[in-house]
Amino acid sequence: MNGPVRPYVITGGRSRPSPNVQALEELALESLVSAVPEAELGELLDDEATLNREQRRILKLCRELLSVAEVAAHLGLPLGVVKVLVGDLWDLGAVQVLPPVVPPVRQANLLPATLLEEVLVGLRQLR
Amino acid sequence: MASANSAEPVYLPSTVQGAVKILVTGPFGVGKTTLVGSLSEISPLRTEETMTAAGADVDDLTGRPEKTTTTVALDFGRITLNPRLALYLFGTPGQQRFWPLWEDLSRGALGAIALVDARRIEESFDVLGQLEEQQIPFAVAVNTFPDTPDYPEDELRASLDLLPEVPILACDARDRQGAYDVLIDFVDHLHATAVLEPQP
Repeated sequence: MNGPVRPYVITGGRSRPSPNVQALEELALESLVSAVPEAELGELLDDEATLNREQRRILKLCRELLSVAEVAAHLGLPLGVVKVLVGDLWDLGAVQVLPPVVPPVRQANLLPATLLEEVLVGLRQLR
Repeated sequence: MASANSAEPVYLPSTVQGAVKILVTGPFGVGKTTLVGSLSEISPLRTEETMTAAGADVDDLTGRPEKTTTTVALDFGRITLNPRLALYLFGTPGQQRFWPLWEDLSRGALGAIALVDARRIEESFDVLGQLEEQQIPFAVAVNTFPDTPDYPEDELRASLDLLPEVPILACDARDRQGAYDVLIDFVDHLHATAVLEPQP
C-alpha cells in the first residue's frame, strides 16, 4: 500500500464480500487463487473503470496459484480487503478460485479419514 | 510490513487442487512463528488483519460503546504435501483479545497445535480454554527451551487441566525434525479419532 489509503477506499466502501454472491462466503485464507490468462480477459483489462489498481496488482501477482493469505502478504494488504477484492475479481470471471478442501463449517471430529491419511502420507515423506 | 514480504512469490504447482490448514497457537513469545518457520517450505509470510472489537476497557461516558480497531499480525507458512494438496500453517495469537479473529481463522481448520512454554504455563490457560470451547481438535506441544524444566506428563496434564484424550507432545520449535514429528503425531491423532466417510 502506498500512503495511508484506507481499506474502505480500496474496496469501494465495503468490508465484506458481496452479499449477493453466496459463493464468496466460501473464500477462506487457504482458498487458492489464479488469474484467468490475460488473453481471455480481453476488454476487462482495458476498462479503467472496472478494475482498480489493487485488483490489477492481484491479477499480475496471481499468474500462478497462490492462497488468499499469500496474496495479502505479498501485496501488503489486510486479509479482509483482499477477500473483497478477490471476490469481486471472481465475480467478474477474472480469477479462478479453488475452494478450501474442508468446507467452511467446523465440525470437530468429523474430518474425513481419507483426507487425514493423505496429509499424513505427505508429511511422512517430507520429514 | 511490506519489507517482510519483499521476496518473490513462490507459487504452488499448477496441479494443486486445494489446501487444508492447521493453526499454530499459544501465548505471545511461545515460538509460534519459529515452529511455522521450521515446518514451512517457504519463508514464513506475514499478513495483517484488522479487528474491530467493543472497547470494553474504555470508560464510556456517552452511553455509546466505543469500538476500537486493532491490527493483528499473522505469520504463516506452507507445505506442499503432494502434487494436488497443500497445507497452510497459520500462527494464531492465543490471547483473549484476539478471539474475534478466531471464527474466521479456525473455520475449516483440521485442528490446532497449542504451543506451551512450561516455564510460563499459566499464560496458556486462556488459549486452551478457547480451543475447548470452540471444539477445535488440538494437541499441546511443549516448546523445550534450554532451561525448560522436565515435568512428568501427568503433572503437566494436571497443571494444564487437559482432558485425557488431548495429546501432550514436545519439541524444540527451531528443530525441523522435531517440529515435523509434532505435526505428524498430531495428524495421526486426528486420524485415530476421525470418522469414516459415509459410503455414497
